[in-house]
Amino acid sequence: MDFFVQLFTDPASFYSGHELLIAQMGVNSLLAISIFVTLYAGQLTLAQVGFMAIGAYTSVILNIDARLPLAVGAVAGSLLAAVAALIIGLPVLRLRGIFLAIATLGFGEAFRFGVLLNLPITGEGQGLTNTGADIEGGIVPVWISVVILTYLIFCLTRSRTGRAWAAMREDEAAAASQGINVVAMKMAAFLLGALIAGYAGALDAHLSFFVDPTEYATPRAVGVLIFAVVGGTGFVLGPVVGAIFLTALPEILRFAADYRDAVNGLILLLIIIFRPQGLVSRGGLAIIRPRWWPLARS
Amino acid sequence: MLEAEGISRYFGGVKAVDGVDLKIEAGSITGLIGPNGAGKTTFVNILTGYVRPQAGRIRLEGNDITGRSPHEMASLGVARTFQTIRLFRDMTVLENVQAGMHLRRPDDLLAHLLPLPALRGEARRAAAEARELLRRVGLNPEVVGAARASQLSYGDQRRVEIARALALQPKLLVLDEPVAGMNPSEKGRMRDLIARLPDHGVTVLMIEHDMRLVMGVCDHIAVLNFGRRIASGTPAEIGANPEVITAYLGADSERTARPAGTSLGTSSLLKVTDLDVSYGGVQAVAQASFEVGEGELVALIGPNGAGKTTILNTLSGLLRPDRGSIEFAGHAITGAPSHRIVRSGLIHVPEGREVLARQTVRENLELGAFTRRDRHAIRAQVDELLTRFPILRERASLPAGQLSGGEQQILAIARGLMARPRLLLLDEPSLGLAPLMVDQVFRIIDEIRTDGTTVLLVEQNARRALQAADRAYVLESGRVVLSGSGAELLEDPRVRATYLGA
Repeated sequence: MDFFVQLFTDPASFYSGHELLIAQMGVNSLLAISIFVTLYAGQLTLAQVGFMAIGAYTSVILNIDARLPLAVGAVAGSLLAAVAALIIGLPVLRLRGIFLAIATLGFGEAFRFGVLLNLPITGEGQGLTNTGADIEGGIVPVWISVVILTYLIFCLTRSRTGRAWAAMREDEAAAASQGINVVAMKMAAFLLGALIAGYAGALDAHLSFFVDPTEYATPRAVGVLIFAVVGGTGFVLGPVVGAIFLTALPEILRFAADYRDAVNGLILLLIIIFRPQGLVSRGGLAIIRPRWWPLARS
Repeated sequence: MLEAEGISRYFGGVKAVDGVDLKIEAGSITGLIGPNGAGKTTFVNILTGYVRPQAGRIRLEGNDITGRSPHEMASLGVARTFQTIRLFRDMTVLENVQAGMHLRRPDDLLAHLLPLPALRGEARRAAAEARELLRRVGLNPEVVGAARASQLSYGDQRRVEIARALALQPKLLVLDEPVAGMNPSEKGRMRDLIARLPDHGVTVLMIEHDMRLVMGVCDHIAVLNFGRRIASGTPAEIGANPEVITAYLGADSERTARPAGTSLGTSSLLKVTDLDVSYGGVQAVAQASFEVGEGELVALIGPNGAGKTTILNTLSGLLRPDRGSIEFAGHAITGAPSHRIVRSGLIHVPEGREVLARQTVRENLELGAFTRRDRHAIRAQVDELLTRFPILRERASLPAGQLSGGEQQILAIARGLMARPRLLLLDEPSLGLAPLMVDQVFRIIDEIRTDGTTVLLVEQNARRALQAADRAYVLESGRVVLSGSGAELLEDPRVRATYLGA
């Protein structure tokens, strides 16, 4: 309970004592937004961690070897992730449901073994030392990105593209009969998700002095999905809330000592049982969404 | 306006659609009819891009559009509804209708990013148009507009689906069984709606089993059977075409009906009283009462959506009735769980056969004796059935999925017999079978009855069912409208009316 006591009685020292945690909440929120985009379009993909790794390595390599600033590395990393998404998306997006999930998970692992653990440029599995890391300076850009992207994606889901995604998610055949190009729309969601994941990876890499290839493995890919599912996949704030909550949870549960992981798992289980629609659902949305907002109810 | 020429499509060696030609005049209503499995839905799926034809050409207003994908067909002005309603269930009714405007609406991301009043007009216009479309299909947007699509009644969901299709501003609207599962008053309102569509510049192609509707609103009718077009013409021509009557009432074989007057045996094995069943918001069966005597073969006939399969599913415990009672062999089984009903000797051979495709014929048969423990007797009975159905013996170690449709049907019936039924429920045993196979299946049903097993038979092929049955009940919209001996009903002009709307 020290966590909350400090948060409310002494926010300044809470902040300085939890800088890395606060930054990671932001990065995880970005990853959760990234998987939300594909889930919103009805595609269960688990490639987020692979795209994240592309963004992370690209920006760190550009930073160390070419002395380019984080902003350039982040843009280059997210674009490269989108290129990778374009290449694997063409064959993989023909799959549905669990088969798509397995194939995208396979991409992440193949990328880790093939590129991160093998090539000289990625350190051949030794990881990279990132001399340019800056935790303190990373918090603000990360959280500004979270706010902007949450708003952007919220608007996108309300727009023509978002409505087409929602239609596809419910019934692909019916969506196609309304003239929605299902293949192109799936690809758009997959690319946008990769772009955001690559960006999150670049920001994440700059929060630590060492880029560790074991970070970008299956458990993290599943973790990102859990952020979104626990938070709720109907509304973009859901994944953000899920990511913040689940990133903070181990820290909150510090008092449970050896039982921390067990309590963590139990809480997850209880949420899934009692809030299967996620922490933030359409009902919760009404409280958050102001009445005066344009086009909120057409 | 639309011309289809020599359209063919095969599914694993089965000719689903075989060289079909169809010409649709602009501003007309064309009906596409034919028995189950005739290839109507496949044909419509080809026209709307969901299935690729293997041969043939489709031209829309002179332009070749063969093999286009569904969204391209939609953008060319071909809209459709689906046989099983495919609304976006979690969206509101208004959102559903607006989904149909996808192609016409501009990208409005900017309007959402910047809350400027000037940018809101387009969305308001779209919502107003959606309300207008709902009014046109007979729904009040103030009442249903904000409701989730899945909360509406079945009939209203069909209307929303049509409103959504009209939102595309289509040239051609394809309706796949628009009144399936509707009650007579809903059917009447739907009929008015469809009849008015050409006034709004929409040409209509409609698959429908309800002959009253088809005969009433269509300018032109094409009849499919076994993937081929067997007739085409005005409603009057089609109604008088002997080949069409045969396709609908079944091939007229030389066999005569059982002698009339065979009445209910001394003891009643199954007694159903005032049965009401509904599912998915539709009342499928209303106050149905009937009896099956020990040793009888009783048929339930009626058009598609009349509630025949629902009754069988309720008898075997797959559905729970809202009201009414079912008594089997002197015990009330109303609402009892399926496995207990099976143990009491009431065995259901479902529509579509449902054999286990990857298990062998022998394994399928053995599964039929799941509730029995007498292993030697089971083995003996498998052998006996394989002798009785030589087709199955030749294929005993083949996976059931490799059998033809007719062979699978015989296997399904044989599997039902493995449970030593007191009452065997057969659902559409001749569905999708070639004429020769139909003969064979009916011969087997006749043998089962002669051996003393009581049979309740549901059939589209009314003529064959009535010839085989001791007694029969005619269902329409979930109600028993006629009953009598097979021979009496065979001669009854009202039976013909139920099927051909004549």
